[in-house]
Amino acid sequence: MTPKDILKITLNLVVLYLAGGLLLAAVYAKTSPIIYRNNELAKAQALQEMMPEADEICYIYEVNDETLEKLKKKGVPESIIGKLEQLKGSRFIQPKDTFVQTLKQYLSEAEVEEYKPELTKALQVNEWFPHGKHAEYFVAKKGGQVIGYIVQTFGKGYSSYIDILFAVDTNFIVQRINILHHAETPGLGDEIEMDWFKNQFKGKDIEHLKVDKTGTKKEYIQAITGATISTRAVAEDGVKNGILFLQKVLKGEVKHGTA
Amino acid sequence: MELPEEKISYLQLIKNGIFKENTIFRLVISLCPSIAVTNSIRNGFLLGVAVLFVQTMVNTTVGLLRHFIHPRIRIPIFMLIISGWVSVVDMLMAAYAREAYKEIGLYIQIIVAFASILARAEMFASKHRVDYSFFDGLGSGLGFLIALVIISFFRELLGRGTLLGYPIVHAKPLLIMVMPTGGFLVVGLLMGFFNWIDIRFYGGKGAGGAGGH
Repeated sequence: MTPKDILKITLNLVVLYLAGGLLLAAVYAKTSPIIYRNNELAKAQALQEMMPEADEICYIYEVNDETLEKLKKKGVPESIIGKLEQLKGSRFIQPKDTFVQTLKQYLSEAEVEEYKPELTKALQVNEWFPHGKHAEYFVAKKGGQVIGYIVQTFGKGYSSYIDILFAVDTNFIVQRINILHHAETPGLGDEIEMDWFKNQFKGKDIEHLKVDKTGTKKEYIQAITGATISTRAVAEDGVKNGILFLQKVLKGEVKHGTA
Repeated sequence: MELPEEKISYLQLIKNGIFKENTIFRLVISLCPSIAVTNSIRNGFLLGVAVLFVQTMVNTTVGLLRHFIHPRIRIPIFMLIISGWVSVVDMLMAAYAREAYKEIGLYIQIIVAFASILARAEMFASKHRVDYSFFDGLGSGLGFLIALVIISFFRELLGRGTLLGYPIVHAKPLLIMVMPTGGFLVVGLLMGFFNWIDIRFYGGKGAGGAGGH
Protein backbone atom coordinates (compact mmCIF):
# COMPACT_ATOMS: atom_id res chain seq x y z
CA MET A 1 0.00 0.00 0.00
CA THR A 2 1.55 3.27 -1.11
CA PRO A 3 1.00 6.64 0.58
CA LYS A 4 -1.15 7.50 -2.41
CA ASP A 5 -3.44 4.58 -1.62
CA ILE A 6 -3.71 5.63 1.99
CA LEU A 7 -4.61 9.13 0.91
CA LYS A 8 -7.19 7.88 -1.53
CA ILE A 9 -8.76 5.55 1.03
CA THR A 10 -8.96 8.36 3.57
CA LEU A 11 -10.50 10.65 1.02
CA ASN A 12 -12.98 7.91 0.03
CA LEU A 13 -14.13 7.34 3.56
CA VAL A 14 -14.35 10.99 4.50
CA VAL A 15 -16.27 12.06 1.41
CA LEU A 16 -18.68 9.15 1.30
CA TYR A 17 -19.45 9.03 5.00
CA LEU A 18 -19.96 12.77 5.04
CA ALA A 19 -22.29 12.56 2.05
CA GLY A 20 -24.16 9.66 3.60
CA GLY A 21 -24.46 11.48 6.89
CA LEU A 22 -25.78 14.60 5.23
CA LEU A 23 -28.33 12.65 3.23
CA LEU A 24 -29.59 10.85 6.31
CA ALA A 25 -29.71 14.06 8.30
CA ALA A 26 -31.76 15.73 5.59
CA VAL A 27 -34.25 12.86 5.34
CA TYR A 28 -34.46 12.63 9.11
CA ALA A 29 -35.14 16.33 9.48
CA LYS A 30 -37.92 16.08 6.93
CA THR A 31 -39.56 12.88 8.20
CA SER A 32 -39.12 12.82 11.95
CA PRO A 33 -41.86 15.38 12.78
CA ILE A 34 -44.25 13.46 10.51
CA ILE A 35 -43.30 10.14 12.10
CA TYR A 36 -43.76 11.62 15.58
CA ARG A 37 -47.16 13.02 14.65
CA ASN A 38 -48.19 9.73 13.02
CA ASN A 39 -47.30 7.79 16.14
CA GLU A 40 -49.15 10.21 18.40
CA LEU A 41 -52.20 10.10 16.16
CA ALA A 42 -52.24 6.31 15.92
CA LYS A 43 -51.94 6.02 19.68
CA ALA A 44 -54.67 8.56 20.38
CA GLN A 45 -56.93 6.75 17.94
CA ALA A 46 -56.25 3.34 19.48
CA LEU A 47 -57.05 4.73 22.94
CA GLN A 48 -60.22 6.44 21.77
CA GLU A 49 -61.42 3.15 20.30
CA MET A 50 -61.02 1.52 23.69
CA MET A 51 -63.47 4.01 25.26
CA PRO A 52 -65.58 5.54 22.49
CA GLU A 53 -67.89 7.24 25.00
CA ALA A 54 -65.03 9.18 26.61
CA ASP A 55 -64.37 12.71 25.41
CA GLU A 56 -60.96 13.02 27.07
CA ILE A 57 -58.26 10.39 27.46
CA CYS A 58 -56.02 11.76 30.20
CA TYR A 59 -52.42 11.23 31.12
CA ILE A 60 -51.20 11.81 34.65
CA TYR A 61 -48.44 14.37 35.10
CA GLU A 62 -46.66 15.18 38.32
CA VAL A 63 -44.08 17.80 39.16
CA ASN A 64 -41.81 16.48 41.92
CA ASP A 65 -38.13 15.93 42.63
CA GLU A 66 -38.01 12.73 40.58
CA THR A 67 -39.66 14.09 37.47
CA LEU A 68 -37.63 17.31 37.63
CA GLU A 69 -34.50 15.17 37.86
CA LYS A 70 -35.63 13.31 34.72
CA LEU A 71 -36.07 16.64 32.94
CA LYS A 72 -32.56 17.62 33.88
CA LYS A 73 -31.21 14.34 32.46
CA LYS A 74 -33.01 14.98 29.18
CA GLY A 75 -31.04 18.19 28.78
CA VAL A 76 -33.79 20.68 29.58
CA PRO A 77 -32.15 23.95 30.68
CA GLU A 78 -32.06 24.99 34.34
CA SER A 79 -34.07 28.13 33.59
CA ILE A 80 -37.11 26.04 32.64
CA ILE A 81 -36.70 23.68 35.55
CA GLY A 82 -36.43 26.68 37.85
CA LYS A 83 -39.78 27.98 36.66
CA LEU A 84 -41.36 24.56 37.21
CA GLU A 85 -40.15 24.40 40.83
CA GLN A 86 -43.17 26.48 41.88
CA LEU A 87 -45.44 23.66 40.69
CA LYS A 88 -43.76 21.06 42.89
CA GLY A 89 -46.27 18.68 44.40
CA SER A 90 -48.95 19.29 41.78
CA ARG A 91 -50.62 16.60 39.76
CA PHE A 92 -52.38 17.12 36.44
CA ILE A 93 -54.83 14.57 35.03
CA GLN A 94 -55.20 15.91 31.51
CA PRO A 95 -54.91 14.90 27.87
CA LYS A 96 -51.46 15.55 26.47
CA ASP A 97 -52.55 18.58 24.41
CA THR A 98 -54.30 20.19 27.37
CA PHE A 99 -51.26 19.67 29.55
CA VAL A 100 -49.10 21.39 26.95
CA GLN A 101 -51.48 24.37 27.15
CA THR A 102 -51.33 24.26 30.96
CA LEU A 103 -47.54 24.41 30.82
CA LYS A 104 -47.75 27.55 28.72
CA GLN A 105 -49.21 29.39 31.72
CA TYR A 106 -45.94 28.86 33.56
CA LEU A 107 -43.40 28.77 30.73
CA SER A 108 -43.09 30.82 27.59
CA GLU A 109 -44.67 29.58 24.37
CA ALA A 110 -41.26 29.09 22.76
CA GLU A 111 -39.88 27.11 25.70
CA VAL A 112 -42.81 24.71 25.68
CA GLU A 113 -42.68 24.23 21.91
CA GLU A 114 -38.95 23.56 21.88
CA TYR A 115 -39.01 21.00 24.69
CA LYS A 116 -42.49 19.54 24.15
CA PRO A 117 -41.41 15.88 23.79
CA GLU A 118 -39.05 16.12 26.80
CA LEU A 119 -41.56 17.88 29.04
CA THR A 120 -44.48 15.58 28.29
CA LYS A 121 -42.30 12.50 28.62
CA ALA A 122 -40.44 13.31 31.82
CA LEU A 123 -43.38 14.68 33.82
CA GLN A 124 -45.63 11.77 32.84
CA VAL A 125 -46.18 9.29 35.68
CA ASN A 126 -49.01 7.12 34.35
CA GLU A 127 -46.69 4.24 33.65
CA TRP A 128 -45.90 0.89 35.19
CA PHE A 129 -43.68 -2.09 34.48
CA PRO A 130 -45.42 -5.48 34.26
CA HIS A 131 -42.78 -8.17 33.62
CA GLY A 132 -40.24 -5.37 33.57
CA LYS A 133 -41.73 -3.91 30.41
CA HIS A 134 -42.79 -0.31 30.05
CA ALA A 135 -46.58 0.11 29.93
CA GLU A 136 -48.97 3.04 30.39
CA TYR A 137 -52.41 3.60 31.82
CA PHE A 138 -54.89 6.37 31.15
CA VAL A 139 -57.88 7.99 32.79
CA ALA A 140 -60.98 8.29 30.61
CA LYS A 141 -63.20 11.30 31.32
CA LYS A 142 -66.55 12.45 30.04
CA GLY A 143 -67.62 15.99 30.78
CA GLY A 144 -64.90 16.23 33.39
CA GLN A 145 -66.11 13.11 35.22
CA VAL A 146 -63.92 10.00 35.41
CA ILE A 147 -65.79 7.19 33.65
CA GLY A 148 -63.08 4.56 33.47
CA TYR A 149 -59.49 3.61 32.88
CA ILE A 150 -57.48 2.24 29.99
CA VAL A 151 -54.53 0.11 30.97
CA GLN A 152 -51.72 -1.37 28.94
CA THR A 153 -50.36 -4.61 30.34
CA PHE A 154 -48.22 -7.61 29.40
CA GLY A 155 -49.05 -11.28 29.83
CA LYS A 156 -46.42 -13.98 29.61
CA GLY A 157 -47.69 -16.22 26.82
CA TYR A 158 -46.41 -19.41 25.25
CA SER A 159 -43.75 -17.88 23.04
CA SER A 160 -43.93 -14.14 23.70
CA TYR A 161 -45.04 -11.41 26.03
CA ILE A 162 -48.51 -10.44 24.88
CA ASP A 163 -49.00 -6.69 24.76
CA ILE A 164 -52.59 -5.99 25.84
CA LEU A 165 -54.73 -2.88 26.15
CA PHE A 166 -57.93 -3.07 28.19
CA ALA A 167 -60.59 -0.64 29.35
CA VAL A 168 -62.53 -0.87 32.62
CA ASP A 169 -65.26 1.31 34.09
CA THR A 170 -65.03 2.84 37.56
CA ASN A 171 -66.28 -0.43 39.11
CA PHE A 172 -63.42 -2.28 37.42
CA ILE A 173 -65.72 -4.17 35.06
CA VAL A 174 -63.93 -4.89 31.78
CA GLN A 175 -65.38 -3.00 28.82
CA ARG A 176 -63.08 -3.94 25.99
CA ILE A 177 -59.71 -5.52 25.35
CA ASN A 178 -57.35 -5.31 22.45
CA ILE A 179 -54.18 -7.25 21.61
CA LEU A 180 -51.49 -4.82 20.48
CA HIS A 181 -48.64 -7.19 19.83
CA HIS A 182 -47.72 -10.83 20.32
CA ALA A 183 -45.77 -13.68 18.74
CA GLU A 184 -47.88 -16.67 19.77
CA THR A 185 -48.10 -19.79 17.60
CA PRO A 186 -49.79 -19.02 14.27
CA GLY A 187 -53.06 -20.92 13.97
CA LEU A 188 -53.27 -21.71 17.69
CA GLY A 189 -52.29 -18.96 20.10
CA ASP A 190 -52.87 -16.19 17.59
CA GLU A 191 -56.60 -16.75 18.00
CA ILE A 192 -56.34 -14.31 20.91
CA GLU A 193 -56.67 -11.64 18.20
CA MET A 194 -60.07 -12.95 17.12
CA ASP A 195 -63.20 -11.00 17.98
CA TRP A 196 -65.01 -13.96 19.61
CA PHE A 197 -62.15 -14.25 22.07
CA LYS A 198 -61.80 -10.55 22.83
CA ASN A 199 -65.54 -9.95 23.08
CA GLN A 200 -66.03 -12.45 25.89
CA PHE A 201 -64.09 -10.14 28.22
CA LYS A 202 -66.86 -7.55 28.13
CA GLY A 203 -68.65 -7.33 31.45
CA LYS A 204 -66.23 -9.56 33.36
CA ASP A 205 -65.17 -8.50 36.83
CA ILE A 206 -62.01 -9.62 38.55
CA GLU A 207 -63.69 -12.75 40.01
CA HIS A 208 -64.62 -13.99 36.57
CA LEU A 209 -61.30 -13.42 34.84
CA LYS A 210 -60.51 -17.09 35.14
CA VAL A 211 -59.96 -19.54 32.35
CA ASP A 212 -62.44 -22.37 31.86
CA LYS A 213 -61.17 -25.35 29.87
CA THR A 214 -64.30 -27.45 30.11
CA GLY A 215 -66.42 -25.27 27.85
CA THR A 216 -69.35 -25.45 30.28
CA LYS A 217 -68.84 -22.55 32.68
CA LYS A 218 -69.73 -19.73 30.36
CA GLU A 219 -69.39 -17.09 33.08
CA TYR A 220 -65.60 -17.52 32.85
CA ILE A 221 -63.19 -16.89 29.97
CA GLN A 222 -63.32 -19.77 27.48
CA ALA A 223 -59.93 -21.23 26.65
CA ILE A 224 -58.78 -21.40 23.03
CA THR A 225 -58.43 -25.05 22.01
CA GLY A 226 -54.76 -25.97 22.08
CA ALA A 227 -53.73 -22.60 23.46
CA THR A 228 -54.58 -22.59 27.15
CA ILE A 229 -51.31 -20.86 27.99
CA SER A 230 -52.01 -17.96 25.64
CA THR A 231 -55.55 -17.68 27.01
CA ARG A 232 -54.30 -17.60 30.61
CA ALA A 233 -51.66 -15.06 29.67
CA VAL A 234 -54.31 -12.66 28.42
CA ALA A 235 -57.02 -13.26 31.02
CA GLU A 236 -55.09 -13.81 34.22
CA ASP A 237 -51.51 -12.66 33.84
CA GLY A 238 -52.53 -9.72 31.68
CA VAL A 239 -55.96 -8.26 32.38
CA LYS A 240 -56.54 -9.56 35.92
CA ASN A 241 -53.11 -8.45 37.16
CA GLY A 242 -53.65 -5.16 35.38
CA ILE A 243 -56.86 -4.53 37.31
CA LEU A 244 -55.21 -5.52 40.59
CA PHE A 245 -52.46 -3.01 39.92
CA LEU A 246 -54.93 -0.31 38.93
CA GLN A 247 -56.86 -0.77 42.18
CA LYS A 248 -53.66 -0.50 44.18
CA VAL A 249 -52.40 2.59 42.42
CA LEU A 250 -55.76 4.34 42.73
CA LYS A 251 -55.93 3.56 46.45
CA GLY A 252 -52.45 5.03 46.77
CA GLU A 253 -50.85 1.77 47.86
CA VAL A 254 -48.39 2.11 45.00
CA LYS A 255 -47.01 5.37 43.72
CA HIS A 256 -47.68 6.42 40.13
CA GLY A 257 -44.83 5.66 37.80
CA THR A 258 -42.99 3.25 40.07
CA ALA A 259 -44.60 -0.22 40.09
CA MET B 1 -10.99 -4.80 -12.21
CA GLU B 2 -12.86 -2.95 -14.98
CA LEU B 3 -14.00 -5.32 -17.69
CA PRO B 4 -14.12 -4.07 -21.26
CA GLU B 5 -17.64 -2.73 -21.64
CA GLU B 6 -19.57 -4.74 -24.15
CA LYS B 7 -23.01 -3.79 -25.30
CA ILE B 8 -25.71 -5.34 -23.18
CA SER B 9 -29.37 -4.70 -23.81
CA TYR B 10 -31.36 -3.35 -20.89
CA LEU B 11 -34.09 -5.91 -21.42
CA GLN B 12 -31.47 -8.66 -21.31
CA LEU B 13 -30.29 -7.37 -17.92
CA ILE B 14 -33.79 -7.40 -16.50
CA LYS B 15 -34.53 -10.88 -17.85
CA ASN B 16 -31.22 -12.07 -16.46
CA GLY B 17 -32.20 -10.87 -12.98
CA ILE B 18 -35.58 -12.54 -13.14
CA PHE B 19 -34.61 -15.88 -14.69
CA LYS B 20 -30.97 -16.81 -15.19
CA GLU B 21 -29.66 -15.19 -12.01
CA ASN B 22 -32.78 -15.18 -9.87
CA THR B 23 -31.62 -14.39 -6.36
CA ILE B 24 -33.54 -17.14 -4.63
CA PHE B 25 -34.07 -19.92 -7.15
CA ARG B 26 -30.80 -19.66 -9.07
CA LEU B 27 -28.20 -17.97 -6.89
CA VAL B 28 -29.72 -19.41 -3.70
CA ILE B 29 -28.96 -16.37 -1.54
CA SER B 30 -31.16 -14.33 0.77
CA LEU B 31 -33.14 -17.41 1.75
CA CYS B 32 -33.66 -16.07 5.25
CA PRO B 33 -36.13 -13.30 4.28
CA SER B 34 -37.64 -15.53 1.64
CA ILE B 35 -38.84 -17.75 4.47
CA ALA B 36 -39.39 -15.21 7.22
CA VAL B 37 -41.90 -12.94 5.50
CA THR B 38 -43.61 -15.13 2.93
CA ASN B 39 -46.50 -16.51 4.98
CA SER B 40 -48.86 -14.11 3.23
CA ILE B 41 -48.78 -12.61 -0.26
CA ARG B 42 -49.18 -9.10 1.11
CA ASN B 43 -46.07 -9.33 3.28
CA GLY B 44 -44.04 -11.02 0.55
CA PHE B 45 -45.01 -8.36 -1.95
CA LEU B 46 -44.31 -5.41 0.36
CA LEU B 47 -40.88 -6.65 1.30
CA GLY B 48 -40.20 -7.41 -2.36
CA VAL B 49 -41.00 -3.81 -3.28
CA ALA B 50 -38.72 -2.46 -0.55
CA VAL B 51 -35.89 -4.71 -1.71
CA LEU B 52 -36.48 -3.75 -5.35
CA PHE B 53 -36.10 -0.09 -4.45
CA VAL B 54 -33.02 -0.56 -2.25
CA GLN B 55 -31.36 -2.89 -4.77
CA THR B 56 -31.87 -0.45 -7.63
CA MET B 57 -30.62 2.55 -5.65
CA VAL B 58 -27.59 0.68 -4.29
CA ASN B 59 -26.63 -0.64 -7.73
CA THR B 60 -26.97 2.82 -9.24
CA THR B 61 -24.90 4.45 -6.51
CA VAL B 62 -22.19 1.82 -6.70
CA GLY B 63 -22.18 2.04 -10.49
CA LEU B 64 -21.75 5.81 -10.27
CA LEU B 65 -18.97 5.70 -7.71
CA ARG B 66 -17.13 2.63 -8.99
CA HIS B 67 -14.05 4.56 -10.17
CA PHE B 68 -13.94 6.61 -7.03
CA ILE B 69 -14.08 3.75 -4.52
CA HIS B 70 -10.70 2.26 -3.65
CA PRO B 71 -10.86 -1.53 -4.21
CA ARG B 72 -9.41 -2.27 -0.78
CA ILE B 73 -12.28 -0.68 1.08
CA ARG B 74 -15.07 -1.42 -1.35
CA ILE B 75 -17.01 -3.72 1.00
CA PRO B 76 -17.31 -1.22 3.88
CA ILE B 77 -18.28 1.44 1.35
CA PHE B 78 -20.93 -0.83 -0.16
CA MET B 79 -22.25 -1.46 3.34
CA LEU B 80 -22.42 2.28 3.96
CA ILE B 81 -24.35 2.78 0.75
CA ILE B 82 -26.71 -0.09 1.53
CA SER B 83 -27.40 0.99 5.09
CA GLY B 84 -27.83 4.58 3.97
CA TRP B 85 -30.50 3.70 1.44
CA VAL B 86 -32.20 1.29 3.83
CA SER B 87 -32.41 4.01 6.48
CA VAL B 88 -33.85 6.41 3.91
CA VAL B 89 -36.51 3.88 2.88
CA ASP B 90 -37.23 3.12 6.52
CA MET B 91 -37.80 6.76 7.44
CA LEU B 92 -39.78 7.58 4.30
CA MET B 93 -42.08 4.61 4.80
CA ALA B 94 -42.60 5.38 8.49
CA ALA B 95 -43.59 8.91 7.53
CA TYR B 96 -45.60 8.43 4.37
CA ALA B 97 -46.74 4.78 4.23
CA ARG B 98 -47.69 4.09 7.81
CA GLU B 99 -50.04 1.19 7.20
CA ALA B 100 -47.54 -0.79 5.18
CA TYR B 101 -44.76 0.17 7.57
CA LYS B 102 -46.65 -1.35 10.48
CA GLU B 103 -46.56 -4.71 8.70
CA ILE B 104 -43.04 -4.83 7.33
CA GLY B 105 -41.19 -2.11 9.25
CA LEU B 106 -39.39 -4.81 11.17
CA TYR B 107 -38.07 -6.38 7.99
CA ILE B 108 -37.04 -3.15 6.28
CA GLN B 109 -34.18 -2.66 8.68
CA ILE B 110 -32.80 -6.15 8.13
CA ILE B 111 -32.51 -5.53 4.39
CA VAL B 112 -29.09 -4.16 5.36
CA ALA B 113 -27.96 -7.72 6.01
CA PHE B 114 -29.41 -9.26 2.85
CA ALA B 115 -26.64 -11.05 0.99
CA SER B 116 -28.41 -10.44 -2.31
CA ILE B 117 -27.94 -6.67 -2.21
CA LEU B 118 -24.24 -6.81 -1.42
CA ALA B 119 -23.80 -9.63 -3.93
CA ARG B 120 -25.25 -7.59 -6.80
CA ALA B 121 -23.16 -4.57 -5.86
CA GLU B 122 -19.99 -6.63 -5.75
CA MET B 123 -20.68 -8.98 -8.67
CA PHE B 124 -22.15 -6.51 -11.09
CA ALA B 125 -22.43 -2.84 -10.20
CA SER B 126 -18.79 -2.41 -9.18
CA LYS B 127 -17.73 -3.55 -12.65
CA HIS B 128 -20.32 -2.01 -14.96
CA ARG B 129 -21.56 1.33 -16.23
CA VAL B 130 -24.16 3.09 -14.17
CA ASP B 131 -27.03 2.52 -16.60
CA TYR B 132 -26.28 -1.21 -16.80
CA SER B 133 -26.03 -1.32 -13.02
CA PHE B 134 -29.38 0.38 -12.71
CA PHE B 135 -31.10 -2.16 -14.91
CA ASP B 136 -29.30 -5.04 -13.26
CA GLY B 137 -30.58 -3.81 -9.89
CA LEU B 138 -34.06 -3.43 -11.30
CA GLY B 139 -33.92 -6.93 -12.78
CA SER B 140 -32.62 -8.74 -9.75
CA GLY B 141 -34.95 -6.76 -7.50
CA LEU B 142 -37.87 -7.80 -9.69
CA GLY B 143 -36.63 -11.38 -9.66
CA PHE B 144 -36.58 -11.30 -5.87
CA LEU B 145 -40.03 -9.73 -5.71
CA ILE B 146 -41.49 -12.32 -8.09
CA ALA B 147 -39.87 -15.19 -6.17
CA LEU B 148 -41.30 -13.90 -2.87
CA VAL B 149 -44.77 -13.57 -4.36
CA ILE B 150 -44.67 -17.10 -5.81
CA ILE B 151 -43.51 -18.58 -2.50
CA SER B 152 -46.05 -16.66 -0.46
CA PHE B 153 -48.83 -17.56 -2.91
CA PHE B 154 -48.39 -21.26 -2.10
CA ARG B 155 -47.82 -20.72 1.60
CA GLU B 156 -50.85 -18.51 2.07
CA LEU B 157 -53.09 -20.77 0.00
CA LEU B 158 -52.02 -23.98 1.74
CA GLY B 159 -51.35 -22.57 5.20
CA ARG B 160 -54.35 -20.29 5.63
CA GLY B 161 -56.66 -21.25 2.81
CA THR B 162 -56.77 -17.63 1.66
CA LEU B 163 -55.33 -15.48 -1.11
CA LEU B 164 -54.61 -11.82 -0.30
CA GLY B 165 -56.76 -12.37 2.78
CA TYR B 166 -59.83 -13.64 0.90
CA PRO B 167 -60.93 -17.15 1.87
CA ILE B 168 -60.54 -19.59 -1.02
CA VAL B 169 -60.37 -23.08 0.45
CA HIS B 170 -62.88 -24.01 3.11
CA ALA B 171 -60.96 -26.87 4.65
CA LYS B 172 -58.70 -27.00 7.65
CA PRO B 173 -55.47 -25.43 6.37
CA LEU B 174 -52.04 -27.02 6.69
CA LEU B 175 -50.71 -25.14 9.68
CA ILE B 176 -47.14 -26.20 8.92
CA MET B 177 -47.12 -24.05 5.78
CA VAL B 178 -47.24 -20.73 7.65
CA MET B 179 -44.42 -21.84 9.95
CA PRO B 180 -40.76 -21.65 8.86
CA THR B 181 -40.75 -25.39 8.12
CA GLY B 182 -43.33 -24.83 5.41
CA GLY B 183 -41.21 -22.05 3.98
CA PHE B 184 -38.27 -24.41 3.53
CA LEU B 185 -40.52 -27.02 1.94
CA VAL B 186 -42.03 -24.57 -0.53
CA VAL B 187 -38.71 -22.98 -1.48
CA GLY B 188 -37.14 -26.43 -1.94
CA LEU B 189 -39.97 -27.80 -4.04
CA LEU B 190 -40.17 -24.69 -6.21
CA MET B 191 -36.43 -24.69 -6.72
CA GLY B 192 -36.60 -28.32 -7.76
CA PHE B 193 -39.43 -27.52 -10.14
CA PHE B 194 -37.57 -24.61 -11.78
CA ASN B 195 -34.43 -26.73 -12.04
CA TRP B 196 -36.41 -29.46 -13.71
CA ILE B 197 -37.79 -26.98 -16.26
CA ASP B 198 -34.29 -25.62 -16.85
CA ILE B 199 -32.74 -29.05 -17.39
CA ARG B 200 -35.62 -30.59 -19.31
CA PHE B 201 -36.40 -27.75 -21.71
CA TYR B 202 -33.37 -25.49 -21.83
CA GLY B 203 -30.53 -27.95 -21.36
CA GLY B 204 -29.25 -26.10 -18.28
CA LYS B 205 -27.45 -27.58 -15.33
CA GLY B 206 -29.84 -26.47 -12.59
CA ALA B 207 -29.20 -24.07 -9.74
CA GLY B 208 -26.11 -24.18 -7.67
CA GLY B 209 -24.36 -21.93 -5.24
CA ALA B 210 -23.68 -21.35 -1.60
CA GLY B 211 -26.55 -20.12 0.51
CA GLY B 212 -26.46 -16.89 2.42
CA HIS B 213 -28.70 -14.84 4.60
